[in-house]
Amino acid sequence: MKAGSTIPVPQHAVDFSTAREMQPYLDEPKAMPVGTPGKSGYLYLGFELDGDGRSIMRDLDRRAPLIVQQELYFDEGMPEMPCVYILSSGGPNVDGDRYRQYFVVRRDAYAHISTGAATKLAEMRYNYSGLSQHIVLEENAYLEYLPEPVIPCRHTRYICDTDIVVDATATLFYSEIYMGGRKYFGGGESFLYDVLSVCTHARRPDGERLFREKFVVRPHMRSVRTVGVMADYEVFANVVVLTPPEHADAIYDATQAYVDPENRLAVGITRLPGGCGLLYKVLGDETEPVKRLVRQFCSRVRMQVKGRALPEEFPWR
Amino acid sequence: MNDNATTVMRLLAFTDSAFPVGTFAFSGGLETAADIGAVYDEATLEEYVRDMAAQAAFTDGIAALQAYRAAVAGDYDTMLQADRYVVLCKMNAEARSMTRRMGRKMVELSQRIFYDAALSRFYDDIRRDTTPGTYPVAQAALFAACGISERNLFCSHQYGVINMILGAALRTLRVSHYQTQRIMFDASGPIESLYEEVRELGFDDMCAFSPHADIIASLHEKGVKRMFMN
Repeated sequence: MKAGSTIPVPQHAVDFSTAREMQPYLDEPKAMPVGTPGKSGYLYLGFELDGDGRSIMRDLDRRAPLIVQQELYFDEGMPEMPCVYILSSGGPNVDGDRYRQYFVVRRDAYAHISTGAATKLAEMRYNYSGLSQHIVLEENAYLEYLPEPVIPCRHTRYICDTDIVVDATATLFYSEIYMGGRKYFGGGESFLYDVLSVCTHARRPDGERLFREKFVVRPHMRSVRTVGVMADYEVFANVVVLTPPEHADAIYDATQAYVDPENRLAVGITRLPGGCGLLYKVLGDETEPVKRLVRQFCSRVRMQVKGRALPEEFPWR
Repeated sequence: MNDNATTVMRLLAFTDSAFPVGTFAFSGGLETAADIGAVYDEATLEEYVRDMAAQAAFTDGIAALQAYRAAVAGDYDTMLQADRYVVLCKMNAEARSMTRRMGRKMVELSQRIFYDAALSRFYDDIRRDTTPGTYPVAQAALFAACGISERNLFCSHQYGVINMILGAALRTLRVSHYQTQRIMFDASGPIESLYEEVRELGFDDMCAFSPHADIIASLHEKGVKRMFMN
């Protein structure tokens, strides 16, 4: 950790004990118990400006199976942007995994974080897999978090809690894409997982709460195949943009909400409580068009805040 | 809390769509759902109504019960906490505007009808803009002041959601009163078990999963075609 860092490493344990939806899934996995080395992934990524005003990844702390190597500057739209891919050496998230991720972007710094491949969530029989994330953006910081989709499979139990602390002058682009299952595996899986619990909440550095969005999906208890929930779509993207009101207004005005029956896409945008930003949602049948829309939206945000567009996605992504 | 004849009368009056808090001006997203063809007949309407009622139970319903218990216990701070939670957890801008308009109207009306110290304090705080004054919390404060039970508050809240959408359905879809009343009758079936589930939950359990409805709501928010306010 950098000496004199303004933000100490938070000491949160991964604790989902208050999540009622995970209570049915608390047996000890038979193969490797919760807490075994390799099951407690940890990442701390701290970005800041160096003495030359260049945004760099100053802090990198990691524990397997989560892997980050060094930041790379491959973004042709913004070559000064440090880009980081998170990899997992363990393959899919399995029964009893508990991961923690901290992303800190200090004053005036900027960064782009993604994952190397889709996050696969394996079948679980005894316990669940959990991810606890903490994102801190200081004054005028800028972070794009644009990971590949999450793929839950049959009997997956997964919980993700994301705590965001964002300065009023900073901008966070935070996206998540969830598939209904392994659509092309065997006869095809669609919403056969046990539970998907996702909570994202944000506050200002002084503690003022901004919003809290939680969704708990238990397809076996309540069908998702209804009007208003997933209808007949397979893929769901949720994007949170926290940004000052002048940026939020411009992005909101430039973004259309529509249903495109021909291409099987539905897109919506609304304002978050307290004027803290925007919420953008996409529904679709396949990941590719949904990813493309999320990326286009990220480009609009970057253009508004940084005056630059995202480059074309790599063809192999 | 005794459900004597007087409290039942008050429950009926506050739940009646004629109670002037402006319910008739909202459609719970149905206007756009009908416009894009997602809801088009009795079966899809019932599906939509049941989902919206369940989603409301795990968001506003939880907040209403928490606020009610706080009001009964004289714990004003927790009541305001419930009020903040309703707004923090409501992701749709028009829905936030709706809940604040209806909540404020309900508290304002109560001021003209009878005196209650907690409701007066709540009204002052809403007017000073120190609390949002959401509808579930206004309902909770009013019902607690009148001695109406927690279970009846939950029923009133659920009835309000279902009736608002069915009322709008008569004006936006080709459905009859017979069909909407049949849906109301059947949708009331699971309410007791829903209440038993929701009464055990707290603020941290507030959740909703309705991405399709959220997108439909944003079409309305950004659109120009409208008969209802949401």
